[in-house]
Amino acid sequence: MAELRGSFGDAPKHIVTRSFGTPDLHRLEVYESKVGGYSALRKALLEVAPADITNEVKTSGLRGRGGAGFATGTKWSFINRDAPGPKYVVVNADESEPGTSKDRYILENSPHMVVEGILIAAYAVGANQAWVYIRGEYDEPYRMLTEAIEEARAKGYIGPKPMGKDYPLDIRLYRGHGAYICGEETALLESLEGKRAQPRSRPPFPAVKGAWGRPTLLNNVETLATVPWIINNGGAAYAKFGTDKSPGTRLMSVSGNVRKPGVYEVELGQTFRHVIMELAGGPPEGRQVKVFWPGGSSAPVLPESMLDTHTDMEALAAARSMGGSGGVIVMDETHCVVRAAHRLLRFYAHESCGKCTPCRVGGDWAVRTYDRILANQGSQVELDILLRVSDGLQNGRCLCGLGDSAGWVIDSTIRHFREEYEDHALRHECNVGAGAAHA
Amino acid sequence: MNSPAKSVLSSHLVEEIKELPAKYPQPRSAVMPALDLAQEELGYLTPEAMSEVAALLQLDPGYVEGVATFYTLFHLEPVGKHRFYVCTNLSCMLRGSNEIVDHVKHAIGVKEPGEISADGLFSYEEVECLGACEYAPMMRFDHRFHYDLTTEKIDRLVAEMRSPEPSSSPLTPTLSLEVEREKKPRAARKKKADG
Repeated sequence: MAELRGSFGDAPKHIVTRSFGTPDLHRLEVYESKVGGYSALRKALLEVAPADITNEVKTSGLRGRGGAGFATGTKWSFINRDAPGPKYVVVNADESEPGTSKDRYILENSPHMVVEGILIAAYAVGANQAWVYIRGEYDEPYRMLTEAIEEARAKGYIGPKPMGKDYPLDIRLYRGHGAYICGEETALLESLEGKRAQPRSRPPFPAVKGAWGRPTLLNNVETLATVPWIINNGGAAYAKFGTDKSPGTRLMSVSGNVRKPGVYEVELGQTFRHVIMELAGGPPEGRQVKVFWPGGSSAPVLPESMLDTHTDMEALAAARSMGGSGGVIVMDETHCVVRAAHRLLRFYAHESCGKCTPCRVGGDWAVRTYDRILANQGSQVELDILLRVSDGLQNGRCLCGLGDSAGWVIDSTIRHFREEYEDHALRHECNVGAGAAHA
Repeated sequence: MNSPAKSVLSSHLVEEIKELPAKYPQPRSAVMPALDLAQEELGYLTPEAMSEVAALLQLDPGYVEGVATFYTLFHLEPVGKHRFYVCTNLSCMLRGSNEIVDHVKHAIGVKEPGEISADGLFSYEEVECLGACEYAPMMRFDHRFHYDLTTEKIDRLVAEMRSPEPSSSPLTPTLSLEVEREKKPRAARKKKADG
């Protein structure tokens, strides 16, 4: 296989990745016989009342690993299990946040772990049908998940009587077609319903009116992959990891200018210095970390001086950033912050769904402003425009977080690297390594 | 319904598309899977193909076109037989994706994204993050990811695709990101994925 880059194997702080690296783990028989797979599903279906499964997840303190960090157990309890008619579990496997590859890592290493988590969640909230919305570019994870579902179906774990329990369970896949916005849960639902993926206004929330107008639980791949461990070991055992408010571990995909890019399972509360300098091996020989995005491209940047920031969500909020998707992008001092921000704004402008005016207009406006600055046509006016556009994109002016994210890129890079912006806009020069040659 | 005078889709595909709506809680969800099938057969979505899909799903042609134009994986113009989708987002950019893009253009002899090479074999696009950042710079080539890209790897891939007799293993292990974990024959798995 492609070289496994990241955490695998049994280590004291590994929960999700402890079985990774087991040969043929993607086969049901190996998942079951070698690492005790599907024991949590058996326990959930045969020994525990659905409400107690949800309570166990609540006790664990697990928070959604997609980006928003909402309490998973609480989210499950929003679904009225006794409401008549179909209910759905929809799995967000539309991983598209720049710098984030952890869901792909999980799906390629242990697809059955995801299947098991999905089935447990469906039973807990009273759904019989789960849909996995998987991004269209994930060819290999799609194949592996398809095969895992087929194996589970052949074994009877998916079907009319899983583990002998009279409770039909089914999982089906729906492929995305290239739209970052589908990572936003209501846009994903629109897409699943065969529409242009434009976020819905809430309320109603998906727990009340989600996929095809029915009560729907939406969870991220990593969130659900964590559930079997919690059911096997208890929520309290999970809560012993991490911090009080951000319990457990999370997978952080570290990329960019590091020696050992990879997907590392990190106990929440560890520092970014540990993640970037130790796990990922630090910057290349002779280089220095200049800035990092701690939770995907949407998380406001932190400069090297803040490497000792802790990885839990509270510490990140205090540092005016966020844990986001767990994607850590590291940039060294040979790269220009203004160029990096320009690249990300091109991304947000391209991916805006066009529904909310501030985001539809603001993204392009910012890109054009960066274009002028990088063409040495900038002045104080351009800097002022960037800050105004950034403000216009933020603070709840858009239905979803895409606009805010674009604004945070501008805002946080200017906050920490104002001098680089002024070099470009006012003095028409770039004083940064590789960038200097192009300015 | 604007049903086109002459079908541009094969008869078995028409049957397949007609069966799709029943597979979803509401028939509209079939629109993307149906467009997928049409694109797979034709290479890209012509206005006629979109109209025909609309007629088969009993949807308005404008609605179907609206969906097709929203998502980047639907091609509305002809594309090369093989497509390079090179990630140029930040994680790959920091590890040299701009050089990779320049080299792909040079290797297949085109100037712009979407332009088809003279031999019809290739086209390329610059795409957003593909979620394999630990292997940057990376790309998707047709339906497969390629990791740790170098200009040499691009050259070898292009040469291999151009060679009149494709070798039995179309991509060498060093070249592809082939996931070798699987013990199953690749052919069997591919068949399933394609079918």
